[in-house]
Amino acid sequence: MDALWDGLKEALRLIGTGDAGLREVAWRTIVVSGSATLLALLAGVPAGYALARARFPGRTILIGLVNTGMGMPPVVIGLVVWLFLVRSGPFGDLNLIYTKRAMVIAQFLIATPLVVGFTAAAVQALPPQLPDLLQHLGAGRLASLWITAKEAHLGILAAVMAGFGAAISEIGASMTVGGNLQGETRVLTTAIVTESSRGQNAEAIALGLVLLVMAFGVNLLLTVVQQRRAA
Amino acid sequence: MDIRIQGLRFRRGHRLDLNIEELWLPSGSTTAIVGPNGAGKSTLLRCLAGLERSLTGTIAFDGVRARPGAETRRRVAYAFQQPVFVSGSVEANLDLALRLRKVPAAERSARIEEVAQLFGIAGLLDRRATRLSGGEAQRVNIARALALRAPLTLLDEPLAGFDSPTRRALLHDLPAMLRSFETTLVLVTHDRDEALRMAERLVVLEGGVVRAAGSRAEVYGRPPDAATAAFLGYTLIPGDGEVVAIAPRALHGGPGEVEFALEMDDILELGPRFEVWGTINGARASVTLTERPREGVGALVVSARSVDVRRYRLGQEAVSG
Repeated sequence: MDALWDGLKEALRLIGTGDAGLREVAWRTIVVSGSATLLALLAGVPAGYALARARFPGRTILIGLVNTGMGMPPVVIGLVVWLFLVRSGPFGDLNLIYTKRAMVIAQFLIATPLVVGFTAAAVQALPPQLPDLLQHLGAGRLASLWITAKEAHLGILAAVMAGFGAAISEIGASMTVGGNLQGETRVLTTAIVTESSRGQNAEAIALGLVLLVMAFGVNLLLTVVQQRRAA
Repeated sequence: MDIRIQGLRFRRGHRLDLNIEELWLPSGSTTAIVGPNGAGKSTLLRCLAGLERSLTGTIAFDGVRARPGAETRRRVAYAFQQPVFVSGSVEANLDLALRLRKVPAAERSARIEEVAQLFGIAGLLDRRATRLSGGEAQRVNIARALALRAPLTLLDEPLAGFDSPTRRALLHDLPAMLRSFETTLVLVTHDRDEALRMAERLVVLEGGVVRAAGSRAEVYGRPPDAATAAFLGYTLIPGDGEVVAIAPRALHGGPGEVEFALEMDDILELGPRFEVWGTINGARASVTLTERPREGVGALVVSARSVDVRRYRLGQEAVSG
């Protein structure tokens, strides 16, 4: 218990003094997971919209695949990305393995099915006549997508929260494709594993607290936006 | 805008939803498409609106073929049966519709004000469109369609969702309101009274096929077959190899040109009048009388003018009128 209490005090001191190493890892985490979520949003919202609206052979199978993707273990995704990006892999020449970009790709693949699934569900919950109305009024594809996204914003913001939450909290994929290189690819989750395995409890707790605060802060911000629009 | 339909076929899966050989909707006219549920009424509106792509045959606007797509849609205003709005105020919804139709900003506010006054929705403009009552939403729905000032306006069940007193008032007011817009108007209804009050032309659709089309007097006065007559409210009396159809409210008490024997089974006292129900040759029929008939004296003699009675062979075609 003392170790936990001492660790917590030291963690608060590290956070309070703005420890440079802690700030660097936290910032990298935001950049990597934020980029992955943003890309997942750009790809996932139109894909979710199309999945909800379009009728084509194999649609049910595709929805099943997306739903499976929503629960895919990150480490498996990390392994697949590693196999593609590793030097001997099909995209080895791109020299992406053990870089932040590789981590963004892996987290993008983790977050995208969540964004697609949540978006599709949100769009399907809208009045079924809405596409006809927009088409009838002369809205083009982009305008229809924009208006529909605005109508489904509650679900889409939930999709962003779920996607960002999945990206920032995963560890297996980041470890596999990023390599947890200090000063290069170490993010909060991989740093926590490293510090706790070294017995550096204070650092691990500090990193954990920062991770929790960051996840809570981003979700709180999105929730405020979501609920204000819902009011 | 004059609309001509020729050889229109529309399939949904294996089902032929529409099969219209020929139909003409004159420019500036108001036509009611009537028919039972599942007759293809709303599908016909969707085809006219350019929302259905997989149709065969021709729909021509002012003699020019209107192909499904954006070009056709721009010339049509369509108020769906279920009013649908985006989030935001009623005014924002009206504005969005006009903006998507590329109406300049200055004209948008003028048009919104015009329809708001005409349809009594000025007090609703600031309300959230998705929180309107059924009747309010339907008013805004119709107002939005007419604000587009399209050459062809389609209204699908325009009086659905109104309470009874509002519906009665609108049945009286709406035709005049609609006439102030220079548009060819097509409305769909399953209510024949609504159709007769609101439109000068009738199209009876059943099973995707046009059973009758023409002026109100032509269609209502001379239904081409017994099924159409039944839909238009005629009382059908089975006879020897034929069916006798009596126009709605055409029966009166006592002898007359064409007489029937009504076997009474119920008398409803409605203030100063009596609605007498019974059967004529096994078919349900009613007549309204000003005096209570004597009961227990056998059948009541009722009659109709010959012009209100039509006879159909069992093969359905009319043999006399």
